Amino acid sequence: MNISASQAQGRVPVTILSIQGDLDGSNYQDLIAKAQELCQAGTRRLILDMTDLRFMSSSGIVALHSIALLMRGDQPPDPAQGWAAFHAVARDSAELQQHVKLLNPQPRVDRALEVAGLTFFEIHTDLATAVASF
Amino acid sequence: MSTASFAAELENLAVIRRFAEETAQSLQANQAAIDDMLQAVDEAVTNIIVHGYAGRPGTIEVRVKRAGDSLIVRLRDQAPRFDPTTVPPPDLTLPLEKRRPGGLGVHLIRQFVDQVHYHTAPQGGNELTLVKKAF
Repeated sequence: MNISASQAQGRVPVTILSIQGDLDGSNYQDLIAKAQELCQAGTRRLILDMTDLRFMSSSGIVALHSIALLMRGDQPPDPAQGWAAFHAVARDSAELQQHVKLLNPQPRVDRALEVAGLTFFEIHTDLATAVASF
Repeated sequence: MSTASFAAELENLAVIRRFAEETAQSLQANQAAIDDMLQAVDEAVTNIIVHGYAGRPGTIEVRVKRAGDSLIVRLRDQAPRFDPTTVPPPDLTLPLEKRRPGGLGVHLIRQFVDQVHYHTAPQGGNELTLVKKAF
């Protein structure tokens, strides 16, 4: 997995985090660490660009939740929480989606999001629209 | 049918997925079914590595084959006995603090494949079989 960050300016500054490759149990903590780094630099609004994300497991779901919490100003949960983290996403979804939005997940990743029940994240297929949505 | 063994390390998840995908493609399984099977295989293998071997060295044997109209992936390991088919489905009516931790991977395995079977392997250890209609 490769991760790269860039900036965009809409009504407010937005950071775009592009994820390329596979997101699984071997590397999801790298993604959380990158989000922590951005958070410490002041990022609070994030677009996760999934255009080139080929695969995402439940570890990726944990990463999405952790990143959304970080952007809101909270501490990420213990990944071992499993279901607790999973359902916390749903419980907090309305507020969390104000901080993190998804861009262009491919069918395989979209299916993983759907089966996991993560259908409430705001999804955009166009970067300009995604930036303007904040 | 094709069988291979891998060191039980998270770094091998992508290698195991690639082995399963390439073998399934060579069997002419449909890609949508392969994609779902790969999600289930990844969750099962991750559970074996993280919860089964739990940091101890070990191996995971992966067999991919066709039986009738189904794609079958069999995973064997020598970790302590664990039968994921006995993990109860999550009770979403319970308050968050009363739900049992873990189990997310097992829930997703059930969502992505049609059948999940567990046996104690003949030589000891665990044998998990995932079945998905794919032809």
